Formats: sequence, structure tokens, C-alpha cells
Amino acid sequence: MNDEGGTTGGTDMDDAPALDPQGAAAILQQARDRARRELAVRRPVLFLIWAVVVFVGYGAMWLSVRGQHPYRGPAWEALLLAFLLFVAAAGASANVVDRAASGVGGRSELQRGIFALALLAGFIALEIEKQALATAGASRPVTALFGAAIPLLVAGLVLLASCATASQLDWPRLAIGGWLLAVAAGGVWGGVVTSLAVYALAGGAGIALMAVIEPHVRRS
Amino acid sequence: MTNEELDPVIHVPARLRIVVTLAALPPGDDLSFTRLQDVIGLTPGNLITHLRKLEDAGYVSTEKNGSGVSARTAVALTNTGRAALDRYTTVLRQLLDSAAPS
Repeated sequence: MNDEGGTTGGTDMDDAPALDPQGAAAILQQARDRARRELAVRRPVLFLIWAVVVFVGYGAMWLSVRGQHPYRGPAWEALLLAFLLFVAAAGASANVVDRAASGVGGRSELQRGIFALALLAGFIALEIEKQALATAGASRPVTALFGAAIPLLVAGLVLLASCATASQLDWPRLAIGGWLLAVAAGGVWGGVVTSLAVYALAGGAGIALMAVIEPHVRRS
Repeated sequence: MTNEELDPVIHVPARLRIVVTLAALPPGDDLSFTRLQDVIGLTPGNLITHLRKLEDAGYVSTEKNGSGVSARTAVALTNTGRAALDRYTTVLRQLLDSAAPS
């Protein structure tokens, strides 16, 4: 058949003793469980990773700006920490996805590529918008307010949009996408300092909560 | 309802595992031969034998891409195979229900 399966021959298991219905049901269930374990992306792990990034990243920035009068922006240490967390989380997420998706081709592979591209394009486009706002005369607090919401806006929109291409209704993805958009839109009203605390707490907690309830939602 | 009504192409432990594993993927997806072998735990020879029988029945399709070390054989469940597994599961459930003490 191919060069991956070098040998032919082998025992044809048609010669195996007749399979009774109970045995068939047990094999069916075991095979289903194993396929789910091996081929499904461990989304609770992904949610936990990003909950930590959102909570610690935004939390560190909030700690460094609270009490600033006038507003000067987050300390470089906080920005560096958020950036390093983001890079580490992106790498860990890619690892989790690759582990499940190894050898899987077809439509899902294409969708994963488009998902990653949409995230990247969204970040770049909104960062350019932020620069344009600054160039047009927007103050530092205004651009900072917009800039802080960009990751949540992009992630929320891309998660929601990706539900349209899923083979079945994906409640966890839909819920977390909607929640991130709501947090981004609601938090911005708190102002440049408070919004960071809202993003850290509400964003982080929402994603962490989904890590806990997602396996139950998927099973039901 | 009798045991003979279970689809004989699927009603073999290895082929049942293959079909159920491929059915776990969303429609439109395929699995490489090597990954399928890892998940099922069959020797390449056995897997090839069972895949041929499933392919002859129209339940799976295989497609070879590339050549040499980069060659990849993609195995996918066809719509016919997905429907056959659904039927098999239904018949199996009926058999188990009828055998259960009332």
C-alpha cells in the first residue's frame, strides 16, 4: 500500500474467535475513548495556559500603573513579563495542538492555519490602528486604553468567527469568544488603569472557568 | 435481531477500531497511516490487510502524497463508512437491549 507500511503479510484477524455483542460494545467504547484521548486537542490545558497569561500579564501591568499621576504607562519589567509569558504560552499551545494534530490532515489542518493567520493579522492590523491614533493626536492614555484591549478583542473575534467553520456547534469556543469581547468592551469604560485590573480578573477568571467546565460541556 | 445482522466488514476487532478511530475525526479530515498505526497498535502488515478490506467495501479511502521519505498515506472514512458505522452501532445497541434482562 505504501512505504510507511513496509511489510505485507501479518495475521488477518478475521480468523479471530467470533465477537459477541458485549465484546464489540467494549471494543467500540475503548476505541472511542482512545481516539478522543489521542486525537482531541486538550483544550482545558490551553485554557489554563492562557488564563495564567491574561491574569499575570495584565495583573503585572496593572500593579505597575496604579497610582500613577499623570499616567506614564506600565513599567518595562511588566511589559517584558507579559511579552515573555505570551511567547511561552504560544509555544506551549503549539505543542499541545501538535501533539493531538500530528498526522491529521484535511479540513482541520487548513482551519488551524487560517485561525493562526487570523490572530496574527488581527494583532498587526489593530496595532497599526493604534499607531495611527497616536499619529492623529490621541493622547498616551487613549492609545494605551485601546492597546490594552487589542489582545482580548482579536482573540474574542477570531474565536467567535472560527465557530462558523466548526463541524458542530462549539459552545465553549463560542462562550469564551463572547466573554473576551464583553470583557474588552466593558473594561475599557473603567479607564486606562482600572481596565487592566478588569482584564486580569474577569478575563483570567473567565478563561480559567472554561478550563474547568469545558470537559463537562463536551461530554453532555 | 441476530448476530449476522452486524456488518461483517466492521464486526472484526481490528476493523472496528480502525473505523471508530477514523470516525472520531471531523468529516473532511484524514489520518496518516503511521499515526493510525500508533493509535490502533497494529503491525503495518495487519493494518494494510484490514484497510484493504475496508477500502474494498467503500468504507475508507486512502491517498498517497509525495514520494520517498516525505511520502504520506492519508486514510479517511468515507460517507459510506460513516453511515455503516452508524448502522452498526444501532444494530449493536438493539442486540444489547434485547439481550438485557427486562
